[in-house]
Amino acid sequence: MGFYFVDTALYHQYKGQVLAMSQAIQINYPEHLPPERRQPGFSDRQIAEKLGIEERVVREIRCVAEREFYPIDEWEAALEFKDRACKGFAAGGVAFSTKKYIDRAKADKAAKAPGSP
Amino acid sequence: MSPADLDQMQTYRRELDDVARKSGALVTGVADAEAFTAAMEGQRPTELLPGCKTVFVLGGAQPRAGDWKSPSYRHMETTSTSDRLTAMGNRIAQHIERRCGYYAVTVPPGVDRARRPFLNIALAAELAGCGSPSLAGPVLHPEHGFMYYTAVLTTLPLAADGPLKQPACPAPECVSMWNEAGTTPCMATCPIDEGGCLGGKLEDGRIKERRYDVARCTTRVHTSFIPGFQKALEAVFDEPAKEKRKMILYSSQFTRTLWSMSYSNVSQGQCFECMRVCPVGSKQRDLR
Repeated sequence: MGFYFVDTALYHQYKGQVLAMSQAIQINYPEHLPPERRQPGFSDRQIAEKLGIEERVVREIRCVAEREFYPIDEWEAALEFKDRACKGFAAGGVAFSTKKYIDRAKADKAAKAPGSP
Repeated sequence: MSPADLDQMQTYRRELDDVARKSGALVTGVADAEAFTAAMEGQRPTELLPGCKTVFVLGGAQPRAGDWKSPSYRHMETTSTSDRLTAMGNRIAQHIERRCGYYAVTVPPGVDRARRPFLNIALAAELAGCGSPSLAGPVLHPEHGFMYYTAVLTTLPLAADGPLKQPACPAPECVSMWNEAGTTPCMATCPIDEGGCLGGKLEDGRIKERRYDVARCTTRVHTSFIPGFQKALEAVFDEPAKEKRKMILYSSQFTRTLWSMSYSNVSQGQCFECMRVCPVGSKQRDLR
């Protein structure tokens, strides 16, 4: 092959660490959060330094792992989600999404009220 | 800087705002290039343009109010792209170089080889006071809500505007809903603990925590784009039966993806459900 791609054994060895260190699932990632709470992802160079491998290896592992993360079924689910949410909003507004949470909160409140069974 | 230089910079700023507005921008702002301390390495203005002093940000090209009302998500999937804003950015860059005599670079849309943005444009918009980051992700303008942004890096030493004093997100309606039901419209639409992308907490009317499943959001925002193409192609290679391979290649999803990719020089957003329910800017979308 005329272009670089990552060795599969290396990929499987480091995939989990690279995903975790790059914050593939972002928890408190945004820049505006206070520094003490913020958890920014590491850059490919920083991850490479920590794992003792080349930066381009990290880059390829991250790119492949991010794409592999969800199976193709999730793409089909995305179409269904968007269709349902969009049509729901057109028919019922914001309440289409929020009603069940508000109803649940009201039910919880009623159950905790004095005198409730 | 001498008073005369300051006057000149103010004149340039007025000219740039004028060019931006005439080009169709809704908002403009200036960020200090040194303020990008929270940006990932490689994504700081001076790493893209040596000697960069400021970042001129333009926002606009929102979906129309009618777009948000449509029951067909396919509509906004196709019409909502960054190319109009990038064109506005190019006009600003040209004005800065020709009229003011300073270097200017429009930040390209899309991603570099490592699938990272060239510059975190959302951070630029925040630092320029064009809006504030939302729990859902996009930077929201307090009056107009969701919009697209572009950024022009320049050596022109304009006065920076700085971030907004009062963030647009969470909106008062969302704080009320959080207090009542422990969620917000965006999180209720796409809840991370129920197969969606968004989670988080509010405290004292501000965002306290945020969880965001990037990989799942990719399946929704880029369903019919390069990520979807790669997944479908993998399925084709995995499929030993010739007829089944044809079914995949000729399928509506694969065809739609190829149409979409022919616009691959622009960023495309293909999911707007968290923004559709966002109250920030919703008054602008309330028409007859």
